[in-house]
Amino acid sequence: MSALVSNILTQVFITLIAVAGVYVLTGLTGMFSLGQAAFMAIGAYASGLLVVRLHMNFALAVVLSVLMAVAVGYLIGYPVVRLRRDYISLVTLGFGEAIGALLNRMTFLTGGASGLTGVPRRVGLPLACISAVAAIGLVAFFKTSKYGRQCIALRGDELAAKAMGINVIRVKMTAFLLSVALTAYSGALYVFYMSYVDPTGFGWKKSADWVIMVFFGGVNSLTGSTLGAFILSALPQMLRGLQNYRYVVYAVLVLLILNFKPSGLLGEWELTPGNVKRSIGRLTEGRRRKEEK
Amino acid sequence: MSLQIILNGIATGSVYALIATGFALIFNVLKFSNFSHGATMTACAFISYFLVADKGLGLFPTLLAAGAAGAVVALFGEFVGFRRILKNHSSATYFFVSSITLGTLYEGLVTIRVGSNFFNFPSFFNKPTIGIGSLVISTTDVMMFIISVAVLLVLAFVIQNTRLGRALRAVSFDRDTAQLMGINSTRMIQSAFVISGVLAGIAGVFLGIKYTLYPSLGSLVVKGFIASVIGGLGSLPGAIAGAFLLGILETVLLSLLGSGYSTIATFAVMLLFLLIRPQGIAGSNVQEKA
Repeated sequence: MSALVSNILTQVFITLIAVAGVYVLTGLTGMFSLGQAAFMAIGAYASGLLVVRLHMNFALAVVLSVLMAVAVGYLIGYPVVRLRRDYISLVTLGFGEAIGALLNRMTFLTGGASGLTGVPRRVGLPLACISAVAAIGLVAFFKTSKYGRQCIALRGDELAAKAMGINVIRVKMTAFLLSVALTAYSGALYVFYMSYVDPTGFGWKKSADWVIMVFFGGVNSLTGSTLGAFILSALPQMLRGLQNYRYVVYAVLVLLILNFKPSGLLGEWELTPGNVKRSIGRLTEGRRRKEEK
Repeated sequence: MSLQIILNGIATGSVYALIATGFALIFNVLKFSNFSHGATMTACAFISYFLVADKGLGLFPTLLAAGAAGAVVALFGEFVGFRRILKNHSSATYFFVSSITLGTLYEGLVTIRVGSNFFNFPSFFNKPTIGIGSLVISTTDVMMFIISVAVLLVLAFVIQNTRLGRALRAVSFDRDTAQLMGINSTRMIQSAFVISGVLAGIAGVFLGIKYTLYPSLGSLVVKGFIASVIGGLGSLPGAIAGAFLLGILETVLLSLLGSGYSTIATFAVMLLFLLIRPQGIAGSNVQEKA
């Protein structure tokens, strides 16, 4: 495999992990975080600093950075999950901007605007791929678990979910923290792959990008979201010359989808053995009918 | 803490008040957070920069152009992003995505036009500062304050005392009932977007004057969001009170802590506010309807 393809794939897999996190939050629970990228920044900076400054073991640093991000997420989430869902978007947006300003300001620790350099390269395509598969597997498991179904219930109607005995506050918090953990993990992988990180590129636009990817593929389908993330994060890498047009093209695509097929490319369809068999069955049946004619 | 800092804070707060009311107006009518507001500000500021300010015309034509641009952009956004979703009675999450997408679209278009360069509005005044006793205030700050307050007063008058305002309030209270009472709610939603667009345009120009003009200027909209969270989501008086409070708080923190840490401190204040008084200053928390 050429170096270019492997580079693109590694970055796409790292993005997939973050998008899996956004799917839990947005797709399953109906909450929008516009500061999600800030948690990626926390994962990247925390793990990078632990290794560069404290010479900590790579794996331990990654685990610690994820825990740290989850702790911060708990602080942000605590007041917010009690309120209506608009607050989480507004508060996380403010949080993202604040983290960006802080990373730029704390030059002695983070290197400021010139970024954190000298992080050893520990992540390659295999680790990124395994991590992405594991993350998506985890989210698929979460979706079919009790918690996942509770998330879907409260997305539809919070009050009704509460009346059914679902602890809405706890479920929202669980979903939020799971998505924070996944995003922070993807940030840690990112820094150990790029061996460099700077504060730009973790603003609300990245978080919005992820939400758009989830909606592009189908907000109710993990398969769709993954596919959407794969297409939309691989495309710009291939068309580097059109970098500036990328956001415009995305936006137009998503506006078309929202207006004419609001459930996204795949709707609710999931890639499970049963569904695949059914689809194949439908295909072969159609062909048989044609032959009979 | 000198009077000087407080005055600067009030001037900053008046711009935040414009942002916050524009945002709160849409929240009030459609019950969702319009994240395209920031990018609308950027787009309008740039449009008025290229059409008017660049040609050496004064501040008022620039503001007029920005307001008009805001009205057009917001109408376009309503038609492209929200009309069909509204008609299909789709869930509120689609409004979110639509507004985020519109935001990326506007910002992307601006970036295509100007790259990532910085632009400066020409200085609109001959005298950069006004001295009152020992206080020195920049002329821009004074004009910003006066114009913002004037705009807000007009808005208050329109909302409280005119037919349009009453219809808007009816639609924001209950869209379907208002429709049954003979109010054209689509038209009302359009006018809410137009008003919010005009506010965004004016705020955009002020922000551009205060901190140069660049494509991601719109992220300053977060100040307006924080202000309306402090003030109580969806309440116009609350948003204005929150904005002035935030402006003063921010300038004070800025003089004490410096730029990076004051952002974190303001954010912490907002979190504290949500813990202690989640309904905001105005206390009219919009509840999710069952």
